[in-house]
Amino acid sequence: MGTILVVAEIQKGAIREASYELAAVAQELASSGGHEVNGLVIGSGVGDVASEFAGKGGGKTYVVDDAAAANYNVDIWTKAIKAATEASGADLVLISNTPTGWDVAPRIAAGLDCAFVSDCFKVSSTDASGSSFVRRVFNGKLDAEVSTTGKTIATVQPGAAPAYEGSSDGSTEALSVDTGARAAFVEIKIAESTGVDLTKADVIVSGGRGVGDADKFPEVIQPLADALGGAMGASRPVVDAGWLDHPYQVGSSGQVVAPKLYIAAGISGAIQHLVGMKASNFIVAINKDADAPIFEVADIGVVADLFDIVPALTEAVKAAKG
Amino acid sequence: MKVMVCLKQVPHQDARLDVNSDGTWIQEDNIKFEINSYDTYAVEEALRLKDAGDAEVVVVSIGPDRVTQALRTALGMGADRAIHVNDAAAQGADALGTAKILAAIAKEENADIIFAGLMADDDNAAAIPPMLAELLDMPSATGVTATDAGDGSVRVERELEGGAVEVVDLPKPCLIAIQTGANQVRYASLKGIMQAKKKPVDVKSLADLGVGGAADNKTTINKIYVPAKGDTAEILSGSTDEIVGQLVTKIKELGLL
Repeated sequence: MGTILVVAEIQKGAIREASYELAAVAQELASSGGHEVNGLVIGSGVGDVASEFAGKGGGKTYVVDDAAAANYNVDIWTKAIKAATEASGADLVLISNTPTGWDVAPRIAAGLDCAFVSDCFKVSSTDASGSSFVRRVFNGKLDAEVSTTGKTIATVQPGAAPAYEGSSDGSTEALSVDTGARAAFVEIKIAESTGVDLTKADVIVSGGRGVGDADKFPEVIQPLADALGGAMGASRPVVDAGWLDHPYQVGSSGQVVAPKLYIAAGISGAIQHLVGMKASNFIVAINKDADAPIFEVADIGVVADLFDIVPALTEAVKAAKG
Repeated sequence: MKVMVCLKQVPHQDARLDVNSDGTWIQEDNIKFEINSYDTYAVEEALRLKDAGDAEVVVVSIGPDRVTQALRTALGMGADRAIHVNDAAAQGADALGTAKILAAIAKEENADIIFAGLMADDDNAAAIPPMLAELLDMPSATGVTATDAGDGSVRVERELEGGAVEVVDLPKPCLIAIQTGANQVRYASLKGIMQAKKKPVDVKSLADLGVGGAADNKTTINKIYVPAKGDTAEILSGSTDEIVGQLVTKIKELGLL
């Protein structure tokens, strides 16, 4: 039938897992709908990596290989993806919803004057007339079914599908693109280590917007973390508000943790936070709102005011320790 | 220097969300609205440029009458003038349709820098800012947590995963989509609110701008609903003491006490 183009991303010299998740989505749609899967790899010195992707799910993979593309650049990626979309004749272009994906994907849709859907966790269908998707809105509180007419660019939530483990019979094809760019990459700055390393804690007690203000963290959240011999963490809104510094942030743009016990107090559970803690061994969520998305990943849920539960739990833990 | 800020008015973050009668969005009657949180950081970033030098800040929004309040708030914070696209045909326009409306305004305004929030708190689409940049053929950067505007270009920091940032130089004119927490958003002062009443709010229709709106939609929301709850969470009940007791038992079972 048609073609699905999968735009891959390279991290530390290899195709990242999220790109193999896209390949899985594409391959499943292809097998039920008779589509062809094509890939796209952009970078410098990426011939081998592109061949590997072509054989592991990417299908026939276009390669834009140029020194100018050594680091992500919005202008080069925009041109490269448009060129690959045209060369492959793709009706559906899949890009991971990563910092690269959300930077460039909407530009492709505007440039090709076609439909765009972002951050979907399911691609329900695709054919020549259009595609349909499911995505979250209102910071995770509601699901939305969205459909498009005609060619569609879509970004897919990392982690929404398991990575493809099959093979594909794919060759690579060099794609030549004008690599002139206006935006200029300067450097990547890694976060300095500050001594707050949540990844090593067995227990993390995190507070969210529901904690209410900066003072309540040392007064209410830290004591429970201390009583359990663990560390204190926070969701993004807490750091945005300046109640705690960035090293305490748990989430996709902060630390990704998997402790034995994660207690989330006053955290609604926006996807960026869930990505940072859903692999925890055991999750306890405390939130006044029974519909908070955090309860979807929790093992135990307490629908109550954290100011009733947390101090009482702190005392009970101290008493149990004797 | 001229700076344009695109902002959206969205349901207040604590507003009750009830699905509307045809199941395609939430009921918007009888709830409070506010400026999209990401856009407040964008307005603040623009106002800091104004504080630092000689910049005019124009704020733009699309929506019904209630949007005037959001624009007045931005004017009260210090923006110089506002443009309000108030046209029923714009309601329900998809992201690309909305970007085309903003592009028509941007072409008239010719700003050196366009700011917008990374995404909106209601649809979480993060679609319009890069689309707008593409339509205007200008470079863009999203998820920006710091800006440093020079004479010909702006140096920005883009948030990546795991606390890393990417530093990029964007020649002007450029579009910058701001991430939450990029700065500390100012409150409109009483003086600012009074002054805002005299600042111009220019109301436009789609006919003024020569664009189509919702009629051209290629993307449609068919259905909105509360997601089915996973069965995995055991919801505890009882008094505070009973709940705390159950939690302590569980923590012991995990070998942590």
